[in-house]
Amino acid sequence: MAELVGVYASSHAPLIIRGWKNVSPANQGSLSRSMTELGSRIKASKADVIIEIAPDHWVNFFIDNLPSICVGMGEEHEGPAEPWMKDCPYKTIKGHPKLANHIVETALEHDFEPSMSHHLTLDHGFCIPLWRGGLEPMPPIVPHLSTDLAPPHRRVRRCLQWGTMLAEAVRTYPEDIRVALLATGGLSHSIGEPTMGEIDEPFDRECIRHFESGDERKLIDFLNERLPTIGNGAAEIRNWVAAHGAADRRGFELIGYCNCPEVYVGCGFASWNLGARV
Amino acid sequence: MRDYWLSKLFFDLQSSAPLGEEYRAGRKSILDRYPLKPEVRKAVERDDVVFLASRVNPYLLRFYFVVAGMPETEFLNKVRNAGAESAARSSHG
Repeated sequence: MAELVGVYASSHAPLIIRGWKNVSPANQGSLSRSMTELGSRIKASKADVIIEIAPDHWVNFFIDNLPSICVGMGEEHEGPAEPWMKDCPYKTIKGHPKLANHIVETALEHDFEPSMSHHLTLDHGFCIPLWRGGLEPMPPIVPHLSTDLAPPHRRVRRCLQWGTMLAEAVRTYPEDIRVALLATGGLSHSIGEPTMGEIDEPFDRECIRHFESGDERKLIDFLNERLPTIGNGAAEIRNWVAAHGAADRRGFELIGYCNCPEVYVGCGFASWNLGARV
Repeated sequence: MRDYWLSKLFFDLQSSAPLGEEYRAGRKSILDRYPLKPEVRKAVERDDVVFLASRVNPYLLRFYFVVAGMPETEFLNKVRNAGAESAARSSHG
């Protein structure tokens, strides 16, 4: 049977690539250390496959059709299409159709009805954490795209349940493979809004404390209350919530946090100690 | 409120680097392909961030003005004004 060998979360601010030269040396150091550490932990997990949850940044979906979550079923995915991601080494990215299919079957058994796609483009939200973490070669990816950028949003409790379902799907997958899960997005940021550039570090710190405490109800209540009051980019924290669910709500460890105004994002990096599960 | 054809224009431009280059070289021929309402087209032509901000997703707005080549500080000033102008309108009924 398959084994969940690691659960991780990472910010994916585009300006980490597009505006790196404008980032202060101190923040460059902080971000580089965190991303390198995250990459080292993913590599150390020796994952055969990574389930990756990230928002679609208007690359695969338009307002004609916005699935709340879409699972990538393809043998292969396209690398990032953004012109400023041209140096990214991932031009094509292998998929894992059998695991993807098993996840969708498991989801349906657990009262989720995800969308499916056999051909996706994995944008910077997927690729920046893996690229800057030094994941090369990259294991096959089973992508989960969420529409965190276009409200109305998935409910926080459902994101937690989605993560629980993913862990169950891995546990019941019949092949002996090692599976890691990486959620990307957040923490606080605001894009294309009047509050653009604002980072709410107190919110980020409190959010981190709730992940650390493992108290599911308090985390849900906090995010339900606060997410509508801060910048639109924080909606991506829902992906961290799914990772938290996959890790059974325990073992959160902050790798690093950088309030980085040069990239407009309160950047967070984390992993969950799966050994903390009881 | 979401303006479909404005959103489509912004979506298409940020999806294709060659289209973005063509747009920066001359907007008219590309704008002619989209059935934009006259007031929307005028707002695009005069880079009216405040007017456009209420009609598209904020991320598409952001991506569009990167493609269109608006300097970052100018975009930040204008999008922040969008909030001030919206607040001023709402406070005046």
